[in-house]
Order: sequence, then C-alpha cells, then structure tokens
Amino acid sequence: MSQELIDAVVDMREEDAVKIAENLLSSGADPLGLLDDCRTALGIIGSKFAAGECFVPELILAGEMLRQVGGMVKPRLSTSGAGAQKKIGKIVFGTVEGDIHDIAKDIVVFMLDINGFDVMDLGVDVPVAKFVEAVKSFKPQVVGLSGFLTLAYDPMKNTVQALKDAGLRDSVKIMIGGGQMDDQVAAYAKADAYGKDAMAAVTLSKGWIGVK
Amino acid sequence: MKIIGEKINGTRKRVAQAIQERDGAFIQDLARKQAEAGADWLDANAGTHPSREPEDLIWLVENIQAATDKPICLDSANPKALEVAIKAVKQTPMINSISAEPHRLEGVLPIVAAHKTPAIALAMDEKGIPKTKEDRLNVIRRLLGETRKLGIADNQLYFDPLAMTIATGTDNGLTFFSTIRSIRSEFPEVHITCGLSNISFGMPARAHINRVFLTLSMEAGLDSAICDPMDHDIKTAMLASELLLNQDKHCLKFTRAFRAGAFTKV
Repeated sequence: MSQELIDAVVDMREEDAVKIAENLLSSGADPLGLLDDCRTALGIIGSKFAAGECFVPELILAGEMLRQVGGMVKPRLSTSGAGAQKKIGKIVFGTVEGDIHDIAKDIVVFMLDINGFDVMDLGVDVPVAKFVEAVKSFKPQVVGLSGFLTLAYDPMKNTVQALKDAGLRDSVKIMIGGGQMDDQVAAYAKADAYGKDAMAAVTLSKGWIGVK
Repeated sequence: MKIIGEKINGTRKRVAQAIQERDGAFIQDLARKQAEAGADWLDANAGTHPSREPEDLIWLVENIQAATDKPICLDSANPKALEVAIKAVKQTPMINSISAEPHRLEGVLPIVAAHKTPAIALAMDEKGIPKTKEDRLNVIRRLLGETRKLGIADNQLYFDPLAMTIATGTDNGLTFFSTIRSIRSEFPEVHITCGLSNISFGMPARAHINRVFLTLSMEAGLDSAICDPMDHDIKTAMLASELLLNQDKHCLKFTRAFRAGAFTKV
C-alpha cells in the first residue's frame, strides 16, 4: 500500500498521483496494489462528498485519476485475472425513458462503483425494452431507475411492469431516485425502495445482497 | 430586467405539502411576497402526477389570483393541465415552456399560438441539451421556424439557452454567455431568460456563483430571469448590473431602491 499515492489522489494532485503511480510501477510494485490504493482513495473522497466536504468536479477528477492509473496498470497485468478486484454484486442503472438528466445518475453510479459494485450504466432516456434486455443478459441483483421529472413516474412504473411481464421481477430488487421521487412514487411504480441520495443507493444495494 | 418569481413550485417540499393539504394561505402569502418584491410574473408549477396536475394547477392559479393581480407563468409540459389552467387565469399568462421536443411542439406550442401568450422556449430537442453553441442555435432557429409559421411574434418568446452546471465542464459558463450573444445578434426581437441556479449544481457556495452568473449573463444580453425575487443578493446584483449596463435611466431605480432599504442586510 502506498500512502503517498492515496494522499495524492485524495488531495486532488493529479500530476503527482500519476507520477507516483509511474514510479511505483517502474520500481516493481504490485500493479493490483495500485488499483487498491486508488479505490481506498476514492472511498475517502466518496465519504467526503457525502459529508459535503468535497464536490462534483472533484468526483469527476478522481474518476479521471483512477482511469489514468488503471490505464498504466492494465498492460502489466499478464494474467486474465486483470479486473480481478472482487465485485460484491451487479447493478443495472439508468435514467428512464423520456428523461435526459444525467448528473445525479452519474454520481450514484460512481458511488456504487467505488463501493465495489459492477454497474452497467445504460445512460439516459432508456427505453423499457433496454432495461429488460440488460437484466436478461447482465443478470444483476439490483436495478436502479433514475428520473428527475414528474413525467418519469409512468416510465418507471412501465419499466417495473415490463420486468414483471418478462418474468424477471423476482430476480431483482428495484430502487428509484431523483429530483421528484419519494416513497409514494416508489409505491406507485411498484419498486422496492426509494433512495434519497447516492449513499442511500449504496446502503440499499448492500442490504439487499447481504453485505455490510 | 423582468423577473419570473420561481417560489410557487411543487417540486419544493414545502409547496408540495401546501398543495397536498390545500393550504391556500401559504400559497397566497408566497404570491403576495414575490409580487411585493418586484416579480413581473409568478411561476406556478404543481409538480404533481400528470393525472392530478390539472386540478392542482387550477387551485394554485386561484390562490395566486386571490393574493395579487400579477400575471401568472403556467409551468407545465402537460397540455391537459395548461388547457384548463388557461381558462382560470384572469390575465394573459406566460407559458413555461415550449422546446423542440416533439411532445412539446405537438402539445404545448398550439396552446401558445391559440391564446397568443408569451412563452419560455428551451433550447433543447428530443436528444437533450445540445453541447455546443452552434447546435443550440440550430435548435433555436428550428423553433423560431415553427413559431413564425404559427404567427407568434418573436418578442413573445423568452429563450432559455439552458445553463449546464460548471461542475461538470468549466467551459459551460462561456458557452452560455456566447450563446446569449449570438441569439441577441441574430434575433434581436426575442427575449432571453434563464434560471439562475443550474449553473452551480454540485458546487459549494452556490449563492455567490449564481449572483456573478446573473451579472455576466446580463452583460451578454439576458433580459429576464426565473429566480427568487426575495433573494437579497440576487436583487442587489440585478440593480447594480442594470445600473452599470445603462438600463437604469438617471439611476433612479437604483437610488429609489436604496432609499427603500434594498441594500440594507436584514
């Protein structure tokens, strides 16, 4: 573990972080260890974000640093165990049909990702059929539906219904979130829960798959 | 500078509660305070499920009109809600909003044309908010093609170029200002408006960002804003900007506001 690398990422010193990572790799450090350090750092940044000490542009920069270090590490991972950090569960996530808001969704996806979930991000304005297709092929335990507008209520309901019609409803837990959502909307859409922010999404998902 | 008072919006928790509980006194108080603070229109957004929205919007309109005779800005993408609410208003309302999205072109634009109302027009289409200035201008050109076909005068339209948060792209401010300038020079008759808070989404100290954003946007050609007219920082920034941009003859608006205590922090 390199405290130096963790500190550089947490302090948002992009150039330092890249340089430190390069030095570590050329002096023979374990490439997977570097990724672990990055994840540790991103976990710290995530809690700072939840506590209001760290902000959206910093989440983006942190993600960028992780990508850069990941890019350096990848060619050095000879075995197929490349992405072999253990994922704790799979989630399909997207903003429902008719709604094109992405900022909040991206934050939730980011937080789920750094908390160890394998997230398939379907993007925005996602047609019902695309959710069904993704659940079939990716086999997640959790589906996250995001929406900012009141006009997203019905597409959420339709998405849940379509999963039911496809015989997939019992294989997943469904959470909703976004601007106008609340517990009542979750009940209306027949989802399993409403999460008020990114940390709530993490807590719900961990609860459902049974990890702390 | 024209102000569209944003407070009566069902997406705010307290307003949603008032709508739910039919707390008319709360809405009337918000309407009166915004009118007194200098709002030119009062936005009314029920923010409820589309099936409930028509009756909720009418209820908002009735309560706003019980408190003030300022015109109302009917804020909905739901043609059914707009159709019934427009019958309930005493004065020609503004409609918020049209865009180049097919459902708004088909559902909302005919209402604007039929009732000859001013309208807020969003620079977006079914693909979302265009990233570049040129793409946004293309959407605006297309929209103006539609509105002109229906005989809607350019000066009835309040174009919102749509600010994206600075948190996800540090050039989003510059794109916004330069879009305003281009609209101004290509379509001198139209108005330009925007909300003031999107620009700072995801950032700390948002009030400071919003205030300077307002000032820079006004210099570029913004002549209306959807905001909280009771916000002291916004109001004073607006007064000072109008003064500096030769929009305040003999500086009277500014000096009168000063005498009325507008610059005293409460």
